[in-house]
Amino acid sequence: MNDTLDFKLLKAHARQDKSTLVDLYTKAADAAPTDDARYFFMTHAYIFALDTNHSTAGSLFKKLKSAGREA
Amino acid sequence: MSTPTDLSNVRQSVDKAHGLPNAHYIDPKVFDEEKDALLFSQWSGLAVAADVPEVGDAVPFDFLGMPLLLVRDRDTKVRVYQNICRHRGMILVDEPRKIEGAIRCPYHSWCYGLDGRLVSTPHVGGPGQNVHASIDKNKLSLIEVRSHVWRDVVWINVSGNAPDFEDAMCEVIDRWTEFDQPLFHGGDDSKFTLTVDTNWKLAVENYCESYHLPWVHPGLNSYSRLEDHYHIEKPGHHSGQGTLVYRQLRDDNGNTFEDFAGLSDKWDTSAEYIAAYPNVLLGVHRDHAFAIILVPHGPERTSEHVHLYYATDNSDASLREKNSVQWKEVFTEDVGVVEGMQRGRHAIGFDGGHFSPVMDSPTHCFHDWCAGNIDAARAAKQAAE
Repeated sequence: MNDTLDFKLLKAHARQDKSTLVDLYTKAADAAPTDDARYFFMTHAYIFALDTNHSTAGSLFKKLKSAGREA
Repeated sequence: MSTPTDLSNVRQSVDKAHGLPNAHYIDPKVFDEEKDALLFSQWSGLAVAADVPEVGDAVPFDFLGMPLLLVRDRDTKVRVYQNICRHRGMILVDEPRKIEGAIRCPYHSWCYGLDGRLVSTPHVGGPGQNVHASIDKNKLSLIEVRSHVWRDVVWINVSGNAPDFEDAMCEVIDRWTEFDQPLFHGGDDSKFTLTVDTNWKLAVENYCESYHLPWVHPGLNSYSRLEDHYHIEKPGHHSGQGTLVYRQLRDDNGNTFEDFAGLSDKWDTSAEYIAAYPNVLLGVHRDHAFAIILVPHGPERTSEHVHLYYATDNSDASLREKNSVQWKEVFTEDVGVVEGMQRGRHAIGFDGGHFSPVMDSPTHCFHDWCAGNIDAARAAKQAAE
């Protein structure tokens, strides 16, 4: 995760801006260097998507499930 | 409790009976005993469905020390859960709010649907691994508390083993079938809470009887005399009082609330007030109704949550406000006596009191119900030992 993304995540957490957290954690997952890091961030995106009834919850679930990370 | 109270006097006929002993109003151990015998094992009032009017509305409650969560699910059904995560027992929702998607635990973010299903357990199998063989989500839904909505009151049976609500409350349901029709909560101007330094049972006892009306509510004397009232008694179920001279509230132009549909002539001038044991006080009139939920906060403190209902969803706001003010005055007039009786329970020589066989039988009916259920719980406990 680059510093800019890290900074934005901290700001979004401070604001409890969950919808933005879905987007930022999805970006963090896309940029992650390893599978474990990718699915760690994708899990966070998924959880905040569940929390907010975000439109991406379904697709994030499918990705996690197909990777054996969710059931 | 090492020495249970003696309830043999309580269960005699009203002309010979004493009221419940002092300990049933002031002793924390007896309060705990009654919590199980009279509240958790029965159908108790928790809240009203109007507290969660929209899908996703969630309101936490502390009911006798137990954290509960009232929600309206996506099928618009009102549900009650224990307000704890199945993971570490963390409180899930700590203030009323709208659940947009899932109920997410603030600790490790386990997520639950409004239907109680455990949806996700993030990182439970390690970072980025959200499953583990030992965590069966199907077995870890939120713990649902048995609930039922009647007359907009959300009734709960914490123990889970009371008879079905319709059976347990059949007597009062049957009595008021004419009022089994849509009720519309009057909104924010039609609810208020009184917090009273009294045991919850004294609020029930005072509500049951009309004996006190001319003394405590002298304003009623002008049109509603003591002899215009009658007792309502169904041993083992409910008790209360009725009046034959209910007079509708009118605004300056003589307008009244709309009546409930199809009522028989009896209700032109009658109204009834019933304590549905244990802790819900209900009232019906031709043009409005109310529910009071008594929430005990220890042996000597109770909050009374009053909700007023109408036959239509467009009742006049100024008339509603006038009605709320009127009822708040009446219920506030009762505060002094229920708090006074509570202080009186600290008198060591008080023997529970002696009833008027003519005027106090609805109160005795409640005491008999309490004593019967406490005796039954004690017998069951003894048998299990």
